[in-house]
Amino acid sequence: MKIIMDGNEVAATSGQTILEVARANGVRIPTLCHNDALEPAAMCRLCTVEVDEGRGPRLVTACNYPLRRDAQVFTNSERVRAGRKLIIEMLYTRCRGSELLEELGREYGADFTRFAPNDKQCIMCGLCARVCERVGGKTLTLSGRGVEITVATAFDRASEFCIACGACARICPVQTIKMIDEDGERRILVQGREASRVKLIECVSCGKRFGPVLDLKEINERAGDSKVPPPNQGVCPECSRRNLAARMAERHFEQFETGEEG
Amino acid sequence: MSQPSSAAQVADEVRRIISPADLEAYRRELLTKNDPNAPKVIVCCGTGCQASGSLDVIDAMKKAVAEAGWEGKVVPRVKRTGCHGFCSRGPLVVIEPMDLFYQQVSVDDVEEIVKTTLIGGEPIKRLLYKPPDSKEPVQRVAEIPFYSKQSRIVLKNIGKIDPFNIEDALTHGAYQALAKCLSSMGPRQVIDEVMNSKLRGRGGAGFPTGLKWDSCARVEGTRYVICNADEGDPGAFMDRSLLEGDPHSVLEGMAISAFAVGSNRGYIYCRAEYPLAVRTLTAAIKQAEAMGLLGDNIMGTDFSFKLTVSTGAGAFVCGESSALMSSLEGKVGRPRPKYIRSVEKGFRDSPSNLNNVETFANIPDIIFKGADWFKSYGTERSAGTKVFALTGNVHNVGLVEVPMGSSLREIVYGIGGGIPNKRELKAVQTGGPSGGCIPIPAKFLDINVGFGKLAEVGSMMGSGGMIVMDEDTCMVEVSRYFINFLVEESCGQCSPCREGLTRMLEILTRITQGEGREGDIQLLQEIGTFTNSFSLCGLGTSAANPVLSTIRWFPEEYEAHIREKKCPSGVCKKLFHYEIQAETCTGCGLCRRKCPVQAISGEKKKAHSIDQSLCIKCMECYKNCKFKAIKVL
Repeated sequence: MKIIMDGNEVAATSGQTILEVARANGVRIPTLCHNDALEPAAMCRLCTVEVDEGRGPRLVTACNYPLRRDAQVFTNSERVRAGRKLIIEMLYTRCRGSELLEELGREYGADFTRFAPNDKQCIMCGLCARVCERVGGKTLTLSGRGVEITVATAFDRASEFCIACGACARICPVQTIKMIDEDGERRILVQGREASRVKLIECVSCGKRFGPVLDLKEINERAGDSKVPPPNQGVCPECSRRNLAARMAERHFEQFETGEEG
Repeated sequence: MSQPSSAAQVADEVRRIISPADLEAYRRELLTKNDPNAPKVIVCCGTGCQASGSLDVIDAMKKAVAEAGWEGKVVPRVKRTGCHGFCSRGPLVVIEPMDLFYQQVSVDDVEEIVKTTLIGGEPIKRLLYKPPDSKEPVQRVAEIPFYSKQSRIVLKNIGKIDPFNIEDALTHGAYQALAKCLSSMGPRQVIDEVMNSKLRGRGGAGFPTGLKWDSCARVEGTRYVICNADEGDPGAFMDRSLLEGDPHSVLEGMAISAFAVGSNRGYIYCRAEYPLAVRTLTAAIKQAEAMGLLGDNIMGTDFSFKLTVSTGAGAFVCGESSALMSSLEGKVGRPRPKYIRSVEKGFRDSPSNLNNVETFANIPDIIFKGADWFKSYGTERSAGTKVFALTGNVHNVGLVEVPMGSSLREIVYGIGGGIPNKRELKAVQTGGPSGGCIPIPAKFLDINVGFGKLAEVGSMMGSGGMIVMDEDTCMVEVSRYFINFLVEESCGQCSPCREGLTRMLEILTRITQGEGREGDIQLLQEIGTFTNSFSLCGLGTSAANPVLSTIRWFPEEYEAHIREKKCPSGVCKKLFHYEIQAETCTGCGLCRRKCPVQAISGEKKKAHSIDQSLCIKCMECYKNCKFKAIKVL
């Protein structure tokens, strides 16, 4: 399989996506809805490139298009750049002030004055919903359709299933989802609406509040009877480390005391 | 009102068909029992006629026939059928064997029909159909241009059989083609026959059906056969009529497809807004299963095919193949972001053969009569016929079936009977919201309707919606209407479709309100081209067609809206007013009487005038003026 990317032959194995091949070969393709830990969703379409597999060039999304035969890929053609510019301009109307989009806008010569803003504070990349599903939180989904599509919890009420892991807040490229720990509680806010409110657990050792109750329960359940020792329930990571070190030291000295080792 | 329940229609003692030859034996038995020339009263009970009251008519008819004295004559059978297609004339009643066609029949007419026609043998003049250009009524169905100029092969049984009675369908040849497959053909032969027939998918894309079956059969795994009955284009009702009028043709087509690709599980994804279709299908499947024509060991062979009807939840986008399959799996109906064909990985990640209702309905005849017979209809590249839902500014609104490659002139004028109210034909819109407007009279009235030709002029075949537009149609408003539909129906996940449509709607709305700006046309073209090339699924990649095709063929209308702030067709209310031309006005006073807000004044036989401050631009005066004295300015 021979892949020519922007004029240069690049190394690729059959079945790799264009994005994977590009990254492995140092070619930058911009993305908004992509994350290596998640299945591609091809929602933002920013990674669209032109590919010619012998039947003329056509537009495909790099994140999920698998290369299986000889192809020429144009990652930055005029057609591609024109489309990306429009995507950035239109998404910016939803999310004015986003540094990420402003930087992309500079790269593609976007004119942010062309369309009236509608400030939804969300570019609808769907990353939060997908990471939530992946983690198993069952909390955030894409709800509604067409223009009305939003990120929402069931019935727009604070979810009782949220484990407050905070993955959604961490993955959001425009910082619309906020995670706030205060007064012994963790709150997840999506566009200002409370998606969940979960009690933080108090460390039995040092008394510090360190993690959401449900998150710990979930982790314990998942770790189950595997060989990895489950995290000490109710002990913060710091204390957990300190306790482990103390136990190791104790065992070490015990050996000397009983004289088991030569 | 009588709605046949599915259970009641399954006869007490069901005759199970034990071999393909047994089917033919049973069919002959049925034919000797039921004389095809026996008198019948056929009442159309399609959705359109039901809405006009046909269920009351059939009830009254049954009662009147039962109560009448027949004095040795054969008592006519009162029979309900699916949609006859001539919906604008409903409720329709056909009397056989005289082939009499009665239109707009009401309960009050029933007694007279029984007395005069059924007993007396005389037609009732006032119930007969009168073509728009003639004073003489037409008696027989076969003489009505709306029917006589069609080539009905898919619709052949609709309006003839009772969709809730499988025996009726069997006498008309249902399941004969399946019997032929099971007794004398192998799966390979069936696929070859379909390939040879050059049948192309009737859902809109026109992909060769045989090729699809062939690819599906080659992929290992549990294969599924799925019927796309999520017909959602505004104004289109081809599939609904088929499902409601001749469900067995679709079921048989699916069973043949399953036999060919090696599947024993099928689904019909039907939109929930078609309750009658769902009920007809469910009853048909139940009856066919009871007779051993579907289900386990069909006609005593080792071929089994289980069919289930699944209903959608009201999303237009679920007609897109991958969204349909997601929805069928119980997930949210959104198109899947995968570059893999559903014949390889579709429903439940298994090879799935998805065809449209009309495609499946074509299959039995292709198998039974052969590919060459099928190819005798249509053109070299588009074989067979196509069913269109003819609507809009045309005399005969309804369902029409014509050979592929028929000209628009034949459809609009020959079958459709032309444009009412002495208006001029302006455009024909095909392909639903993803299609485009074909301008007429330029040079396209004689364009052949086929997959390739329509694409050349910026429209598409689509599933078969055909909207006729007269000179009073504003093309900017038409494109705004379709974009508005799509804004609501886009699934919203991919940004070019969601944002692009929103922006196009915004621009079109401001143009129709007189706030269009210089450069808007170019901006619409830029966004439209982008949306059509960057979107994820078929909905998005054709969403801008209504805009792009109207800009291409009617740029002057856009310019008039933007530059002169005028709507030349008199549709966009902010951009025109009516004026009565004093020299043509005869002062008949009709407009004055019709005006709902008393904005028109004038003395008898003298020119009238409109008070612009009162006028609400409802069009009543304009529509009713017999002298074309009212002008759009």
